[in-house]
Amino acid sequence: MTDDGAPLELLDRGYAAIMRRVVATGTAPHFTELAAELGTPIEQARQLAHELVAITPGWMASDTDLFASFPPFNLQPTQYRVTVDGVGGWYAQCGLEATAIRWLVPGQTVRIEAPCLCCGEAIVVEMHDEEITTTEPAEIVGYTSDVIGGSADSRPFR
Amino acid sequence: MNLFRSEEHARRWDGFNPAMDHAIKPLAEWAEAFANPFFRERGRADYISWTRSDDGAAAFRALRSSLPVPADH
Repeated sequence: MTDDGAPLELLDRGYAAIMRRVVATGTAPHFTELAAELGTPIEQARQLAHELVAITPGWMASDTDLFASFPPFNLQPTQYRVTVDGVGGWYAQCGLEATAIRWLVPGQTVRIEAPCLCCGEAIVVEMHDEEITTTEPAEIVGYTSDVIGGSADSRPFR
Repeated sequence: MNLFRSEEHARRWDGFNPAMDHAIKPLAEWAEAFANPFFRERGRADYISWTRSDDGAAAFRALRSSLPVPADH
């Protein structure tokens, strides 16, 4: 048991179950589905979902029990559209986490397409395991306007 | 935490924070930071336990030391 949360073994199983679903489908399980998969009471799964997004760190849709972000992915659409080996349906949590999606799909090509927030023109990045194989334009930069890992309230706005 | 077509585009963004000007980095540098084991190990069946292990703690310390903080910190 952790200090004041779910048992570590349950956190592990819950995290892995959610990530498996997100990687496979681009969607997260509802907490009732999580309860069924983990064999826990529904209320325990609901609390577990909140605990896991706080740890990862992601966030729930405001004032709900519905996953909005589970890094490196976002369950609500963002400007960072992701395809894996040409198949779409995923979104990255942010432009920087987008570069970490490849670790969850080894051997596959991850393509990120996004508009530049300054001008709306296209940005394209392709990655395959250790390699960044495409950057269009070549001068792409990443930027955060605040501390990474800072306050939970500011996570969607950096 | 966004991508921009160039440094100039990042500085022209409405959300640009001058105190974090040094956080503008080439994509490859950010990709290296996000290649830390903290991100690579997310597919583990015991990921949360791993983050609390010595290896996980060491990876997190290395990650934190590589990330920019505001100039006035």
